[in-house]
Parts: sequence; structure tokens; C-alpha cells
Amino acid sequence: MTSRSLNSDSTTQGESMTRWPVTVASLRSMAGVAIPLILVAIILPGLLSAFWLRALTSSAIFALAAAGVALLYGRLGLVSLAQVALLGVGAWVALRLSHGTDLPFELVLLGGGIVTGLVGLIVGLPALRMRGLYLALITLMAAGGFQVIVGGTGFPDGGSGFLGRVTSASARLLMERPFVAQSDEAYFRYVLVVVAAGFLLVEIHRRTRPGRAWALIRKSEACALSAGVNVTLYQTWAFTLAGFLAGIAGGLLAGSVGQLDGRNFPASSSILLFALTVVGGVYSWLGPAITGLLYRAFPSLLIAWNIDGNLAFIVFGAALLHALITAPAGIAGQLGDVGRWLSSRIGRRGGTR
Amino acid sequence: MPNLSPFFVTGLAVGAIYALSGVGLVVLYRASGVLNFAYGAIGAVGALLAWQLLQYELPETLAWLAGIGLATLLSLGYGRMVAPHLAYRDTVVKAVATLGFALVLLGFSRWYWSDDPRQFAIPTDTIGVSMLGVRVTVTRMIAFSMTLLITIGVALFLTRTRLGLLMRALANNRDLSALLGIQVLQVETWAWFISGVLAGISGLMLSDLVRLDAIVLTFMVIPAMAAAVVGRLRSLWGTMIGGLLIGVLEAVATPFQVISPYRSVAPFVVAIIVILWLQRRRVITFAGGT
Amino acid sequence: MFNLRFALTHNRRSQLLIALLIVMMLLLAGCFGGGDSSSAGDSGTTADTAEESAAEPVAGEEEATEKEAAAEEEAMPKEEAQTTEAMANTLCGLGTGEAATGEPINVGAVVGATGPDDFSSAAKGAAAYFNCVNANGGINGRPINYIVEDDGWDPEQAAQVAAKLVNDDKVVALVGNTSFVECAANAQLYEDENVIVITGVGVPRECFYSANIAPTNQGPRLSNLGVIQYAYETYGARKFACMAPNVPGMAEWICDGLAAWGADKGVTIEPVFFDPATMDPTSLILQAVSSEPDAITISTPAGVAIPLFGAAEEQDLRDKYHWLGPTSLYDLDFPAAVGSYWDGYLDAEIELVNTDSTSPDNQAWLQILDEYGTPDDPRDSFSQAGFLAAKIFVATALELDPASLDRDTVTEALRGVTNFKTDLMCGSWYFGPDLDTHNANHAGRIVSQVDGGWETITDCFEIEDPDLAPILDMEAQGGLID
Repeated sequence: MTSRSLNSDSTTQGESMTRWPVTVASLRSMAGVAIPLILVAIILPGLLSAFWLRALTSSAIFALAAAGVALLYGRLGLVSLAQVALLGVGAWVALRLSHGTDLPFELVLLGGGIVTGLVGLIVGLPALRMRGLYLALITLMAAGGFQVIVGGTGFPDGGSGFLGRVTSASARLLMERPFVAQSDEAYFRYVLVVVAAGFLLVEIHRRTRPGRAWALIRKSEACALSAGVNVTLYQTWAFTLAGFLAGIAGGLLAGSVGQLDGRNFPASSSILLFALTVVGGVYSWLGPAITGLLYRAFPSLLIAWNIDGNLAFIVFGAALLHALITAPAGIAGQLGDVGRWLSSRIGRRGGTR
Repeated sequence: MPNLSPFFVTGLAVGAIYALSGVGLVVLYRASGVLNFAYGAIGAVGALLAWQLLQYELPETLAWLAGIGLATLLSLGYGRMVAPHLAYRDTVVKAVATLGFALVLLGFSRWYWSDDPRQFAIPTDTIGVSMLGVRVTVTRMIAFSMTLLITIGVALFLTRTRLGLLMRALANNRDLSALLGIQVLQVETWAWFISGVLAGISGLMLSDLVRLDAIVLTFMVIPAMAAAVVGRLRSLWGTMIGGLLIGVLEAVATPFQVISPYRSVAPFVVAIIVILWLQRRRVITFAGGT
Repeated sequence: MFNLRFALTHNRRSQLLIALLIVMMLLLAGCFGGGDSSSAGDSGTTADTAEESAAEPVAGEEEATEKEAAAEEEAMPKEEAQTTEAMANTLCGLGTGEAATGEPINVGAVVGATGPDDFSSAAKGAAAYFNCVNANGGINGRPINYIVEDDGWDPEQAAQVAAKLVNDDKVVALVGNTSFVECAANAQLYEDENVIVITGVGVPRECFYSANIAPTNQGPRLSNLGVIQYAYETYGARKFACMAPNVPGMAEWICDGLAAWGADKGVTIEPVFFDPATMDPTSLILQAVSSEPDAITISTPAGVAIPLFGAAEEQDLRDKYHWLGPTSLYDLDFPAAVGSYWDGYLDAEIELVNTDSTSPDNQAWLQILDEYGTPDDPRDSFSQAGFLAAKIFVATALELDPASLDRDTVTEALRGVTNFKTDLMCGSWYFGPDLDTHNANHAGRIVSQVDGGWETITDCFEIEDPDLAPILDMEAQGGLID
């Protein structure tokens, strides 16, 4: 099998089959996403209240984490129920580096991402031999274990020693924000840029060799092996990438809030994030964006409207059931349906096309 | 070396809880292929209803039966109305769908019964026996013996009765069983029924022994799954022993100050070790994707 | 399904449409966010503004509505005064009996309501007082708009709602905060934005060591130390097991304090830190008694303590050790929850006067809660603390010119509060602006569980925490208390 036929998942008929298919079409589609994003980044912070600014900052952060989950489930069909735990790991490392060293925020973020990528790699190693339910269970157990451990160790807050916790005699520190983004508005824009870069990273993977390899592995591992695809490598690559994204998101969260509490990373959050990723949609970049909004903006809406936050769980659970039974591509898929229908209408009215 | 024997005894009591929930999970998984994430939530709603009826001064037995009844109804409802839509999807999807059900139940319980701390009391809580330096109440002994009896009972049911045989056939190969004329839906319904009853009982026991709190009870399903994993999602005895082992390990770690704050990690560590051990010789199959 | 994928990745028109949809959604959120600043986290906690029937008793009726009046609104229609309450409540503010009209003053609160426990009773106590004040002339004619937000025991949410209160609702102060996480998460914000917080109940260390946060309570460290002192003197106890939840700024801070006090008295402290969500209280009790202490202090909220006492009862341990606790156990429902087994075997320290005291301020608290709170509001020491914080705020604000009352003037005035006398506390309250640590309440009493209730068994006594030295020095210099 040549690489040409492996392309069926990610290109149209007209595009060239180069290693990095930078075509006019793909540039236009990226501009179609980038331009509204830039507009949002510039205009929105001024319009939003402080409450909503923070809500949307958190939404963007968790959208990045959801991108990792969507990558694993959408591209490889692997269920990871540990993404929020990995986000916690990234936050922990970022906090420790930030308080313990003089490194700038960007390096701290990268450090968190790399360490978490390695952890994701370790968590993913069993994936080489496991499928489906057992993989989901092992990630769930890892998340449960992290919940207990971080509940005991807490997050670094300026102290010394490995755990970096202050003793009872001194003040707890907040994480330093990046030099260019001290205020909430500036930090929101910074987060958007980083999240967009993360999404771009996923897109690049999808359109080049890893994406093709993943698609083939998903279709049939036998075919992949006989095509000479290094299945081990690409599977662990996917886990590492998902871990890296979670780590970056964790660092961003630590910078946003300043201090994190060890009791706020339960296994149930990882489960909820996975559920919402399925609801949002796992087959395009839009899905994780919707997931981020569902995970953080929707509960904020309930707070603002004074509705009991527990009703959100009912909505999420029902949405998950609906998504699994009737709409496997999630909300993003259904929006895509609507988008296609609308554009076909407009196209028809417009005459030739 | 501190005296570990009292912790051993309390560990058995906690482990019996994990084992009881684990057995309920395994029974359902064996018969329908669904790993029920909503198991704890179903039990929680049943226990909360029982508590509510006790607040209304209903007789205790009635309240408990109502709680177990509601749990069974919820389990049956899901099994008949939602699960068939997903019957031909893979096990992961079926498990994730029960997650959705768990979220719905959790949201409802926390909304309807707010977070106030509640205690569920059974009359046998006050009577106890001293054993190896620790006092064990009758309730704990009941929990332990119930776990034992239920495991034996379900094992006998599966091996000795016709319905049990049908369930095992279904677990083995659903399509082939249908071809053989087994009433698939009927047998599955029975599996959900039994699982619901067990969920109701574990919910009541847990709320007495631990805490009557929707979140705690719902996410007790995770250590219960750890126990089920030790039984390879197949063996009831393995699940029971796994649950007891996890409980004992967790309790015995208490007097060691360094690891004591982290002792709740025992179920997860045991589960991970067991999973890795079970999968150690597996090679990549050519079965396609998931 | 594969067509969808194609559509999403290759049909650029549909992509643009999707992007537009997202942008529209975000803009809508922005409009919501920009215009909307809602109030009230929990039922019965908000003080209604004058245009929303502030004078009617809230008891037994539905909870307060959400939409706050925009700060720019002028001249609310005058409300009819309710005669019964108006006559009675010369206890609140100006005591005029007439509902306040005029530009509302926004006051905020952050409480940990949803989560492991519900700490909103301080805000409910404060809300009742503010309701009463609004029905009695307000702050020189201006009503208080009390906005209570829930932080869900999550620093992320705590930071988000604090940003809302401070930056969106532009509150002049926060009164009645009670949270495990918000002091640490928001202390910097409060300093940066020059807003003062008078907590209802400060819990972790950060609530007592922040420049802009001044609690009305003592804190778990002092409260535990108080009951330890009592056990040391009365029972001759020398070895204590210190059970505390493994929360940052709590467990070590509390048990270190006990150790520091006992260092030169031959006292040893055996810490037992545990996960508050533990499902195995028996093992914890076994661990606590394994060191053979003379007394055991259980420093947790009541909800976490009840299973621990249940486990201790299962093991029949009441005679073998003395059982102690801080003010968090002092809840009128606690004796009923742990049962008559513990009558005569449990001592607790209380930071404020006992809730059934007949002293004037305490009776005022109960009366105002009855008339302006709801029957569900807990009548516990948290509520007293919130009520006291509200009283301090109102007394301070009444001395300011209502036309120029804003955050800066309020902050300055609150910093200058000295010698606030109340029979709810053992001593007087003050802010103490010269130090970055605030802990005016450092004397307490001991109560004991007797016959299904609590009985006060000592008078006020000073708690001798070595870490109080800077505060005591500052007090000795004069001007803060008489």
C-alpha cells in the first residue's frame, strides 16, 4: 500500500499528495478559522465582564485538554479517562518550576508539557497490548490514583523541597503570569494563542504521516503492520501528544488561577471531560472547542442565572446518551450537518458552483 | 512494627463493601457485556429514597425494600430502554453510555437531596463483638457475610440454574445465542434485574458503613471496578477476594505515617498491577481497531 | 459519517459558517456577561433591594430574586413599611422603621456552599442583618445589595466569582466570607483592588495572614489550642492526638500550633492527618489511639466529625480518652447526630458566645434571624460570625457620608475600626492595619455536651498561642482595644 491510498481520510481528490499538503484549499480553510479567532481575541475581552472572561479562559484551557482526548478517541478509538489527571500533572510541574526556578512562563509551560507528555507515554504503554475496555479501566485507575496522591501532596505554592509546599509559617504564593500577559484580558489572549497553537499542532499531525498512520491503524492493524507502519511508535506518539496538550493546558490553568487545590482533580472530572468530548464531537477541531465551552462556560452560565449547578450533570448525561445513540459525531458533527445544509442552500441560490 | 491485626479486621469490613459492589458489576458484565458505571449511582438513589422514607417515619423494612425496589427499577429501565440501542456497539461504548446514565442520576440526587451530611443508621450498628483488638459491629458482620452469601448464591445461580446457563451463553456469544433461540432480551432483562437488586443492597450497606452522600456512593464504583478487575471481569470468587485484598491493604497502611495519607490509592495500584499482569503476554491482535 | 468529515475539513463555506456560529455564540456570551451581574448564591441569602419588597419578612417565602439593580438607577419607588418589624427593630442600623431607598451599596460574599460541606450559614446570618438594616433606613438612606457567590470549594471558581464581585459588581467590601479555598486564591486580588474582607469564618491560615482579610472568628488553630489548654489544666492531659484534615494551610498549621504551645510544658502532640473524604473512619480512630494519648482532638467540620465519633462509639472508647474539639463541632444538631453516648464525654471550645445565650447582642441575632432570615437558616456559630461581620460593616458605613461612600472610603474606614464592643465575642474587635495578620478574636470559652445539648462550663479565657506575639504587642501599644 502506498501512501497515496492512505490519504483517503484527510484529503480531497484535487490536492497534491505531498508530505505536507500545503495547498491553497488548506490555507483558505485555516484562514477561515484563524480570522474569526483573531477577531475574537481582539474584540471579546473588552466586551466581557470579569466573570465571563475567566469562564472563557478556562473554557479555552479545557478545550486544549479535550483536543488530546478527541485525538485519542477520534483517530485511534482509544478511550482515555485520565486527561484531567494529566492536566493536574502538568499544572503541578509548571507550579514547581515557576516557584522553584527563575524560568520564564513559556519555558515553565513547555517543561510541564514535556513531563506530562512523558507521563502520557507511560500511561499509554499498556495501550500497546490493550484495547477497549481494559485501556479505559487502566486510565481510570491511573486517574483515581492521581486523585489520592495529589490530594495528599497538594500543589506547590512557593515552598522548598520536592513537594514545594510552604510550611505553616509563611505565605502561599501565586504562580507568576507571563511577562506580556499579567492582566486577565491579556492572559485570555495569551491562552487563545497557545490553544490555537495546540490545535494547529494536532491539525499538522492529522494532515501528515502520523495522521495517515493513525487512520490506517484504526482501520486495521494488520494492514498497518503489513504496510510497514510502526504501530508501536504511532500509538505511543498519540499518547505522548495527548499528554503534552494536557500538560500545556495544566500550566495555563495554574497561571490563570494562581493556586490549585489537590482536592479538585478527582477521577470523576476526567470521566466528565471524556463524556463531554464525545458530546462535543471527536472528528474535528470544533468538537474540543465545544467541549471546553460545555465543561466550563455552561456551568458558569448556570451560576450566573442562579440555577443549581447539579442540573448541568443531568444535561451532560442525557447529551452523552444522545450522542452515543443517535449522533456519533457529536455536536460538532451536527453543526457540520447544519453548516453543509446551509451552504448547499446558499450555493444553490447562488447558481453556479 | 505496629500491631496490624485491628487494621486487618477493619480492612476486611471495608473490603467486603468493595467486593459486594464488584460482584454486582461482574454479574451484569458477564451477562450483557456492559460494565455499568452507573452501579454506584443507582445504589445511591435507592439509599437516598430509603433515607427519605425513614424521615417520613415509615417502618424500616418498608423503606429499605422501597430503596432496593427503586434501584432495581432504575436498572431495569436502563436495561430495557437504553441498552438495546447500543447492543451491537463495542463494550467501551456500552460502558461509556452507562456513564451518561450515572451523570443523570448523580445530578438528580444532588439537586433533589442537597449536599447536607446525612447518616444512615441500621439498628444493628450498636451491637458489636470484640475481635483482635477492634470492635466489629453486627452491621459489618452482616455486610461481610452477605457478600459471601451473595457470591456463593450468584455463582450457584450461574452454574446450576437454566437462566444462569442462558446468561453464560449470552456472555459467551450474543449472536450465536440468538441463533440458538435464546430469548436474548429476556435473559438480559433478568441480568439487569439482579444487578439492580445487588446495587440497591450495596447502596444501603455502603450508606450505613461509609456515608450517605451521592458523590461518594456514585464514585465508589471505581474501587469496585478495581475489585472486578482483579477477578478479570469474569470470576466472582476472584472479585470477592480482590475486594477483600484491596480493603485489607488499604487499612493496614494506616499506621505507617509516611504512606498513611495515600492509603486510598490501594485499589488503583492493585488494579493497575493486575491489568498489566493479565496483559503481559498479549500481542497485537489482528482484530482491527477497538 | 465520513461525508461529514469531508464536509468539515474541505467545504470551506461550511467551515466559515461554523466559525461564524462560534463567534456569534461567544459574542452572545459577552453580551450576557457584560450586562448581567446577578446576585445570590443560595436561597434566602440575598438582601433584596428596595424596589423588590425588601421590608417583607423572608421567613417561609421563596428565595430572593437575582437581577441586581444597576448601580446607576436612581430614585426607587418608596416601599410601604411593614409595621410589625419596623417597630421592633431599633436594633438594626438607624432603626427608623422605614425602608431604605436610594442608590444601593453593593456588598459581596464568597462562601463554600456546594461541596464537601455547606458553609453558607455565615452569609445567611449577614443577609438577615442586612435585610433588617434595609428595612430600617439602610446606610443613611442607601440600601445594601448583598451578593453572595458560591465557590464550590474550588480555587478556580473562587477566583472567578471574586473577580465578578470585585470587578463586575464593584462591591465596596466583602462581608461574611466562609471558605476553605478562597482566602488563598483571592488575597492578592483583594490587595490589588483595595477591597477589605471581613470574613464570617476564616478557616485556613491564609485568612489570618492576609493584609486585606480580617476574620471575626479565631480560627481552628486557636480554637483547638483553647480546648487543649482546658484539657491540660482540668484533666492533666499531657499527650494529645491531633486529628486534622490534610488540607493546605490547615493540618500542619493547627498541630504545629499545639506543639509550639506545649513545647515547654511537657506536652506531646501526635498528628493524624487524613483525607476528609475517607471512607474508613475506624482505621483513623485506631491510628489516633495507637499512640495511647490522654486526649484526642478532632479538628474537622461537623459533617466529617460525625462518622469519626460513630467509629469511636463502635469501639467503645469514650472512657479511655478525653474527647475534644474546636468550635466547628459546636452545632446544636451535633449532640443529636452523635447520640447520647457522648453526653458528658465531649468538650469543645467556642469562639463566640454560646448560641442560646441571653446576652443582648445574641438575642438580637436570634430575633433578627427569625424575622429577616428563613426557618432553614442554621442558628450556629458561623451564623453568629457572619452577623457580627455585618454589624461591624454597617456601624462603620453609617459614619461615612452616603453620597461619597465608595470602596476607597469604606476600605479606609474599615481599616480604622477599633474597640468594637459586642457581647458575641469575649473581647473587642478591631482591624489592626499595621500588621498583615489579623486575629482580633483570641479568647474563648469551653462547652461540654450534656443531656443532648451543650452547656457552657468556663468563662472567657485567653488562648496562649506563641504566634500571637506580634498581635499582642500591637494591642499593648494601645488604641485598638480598651
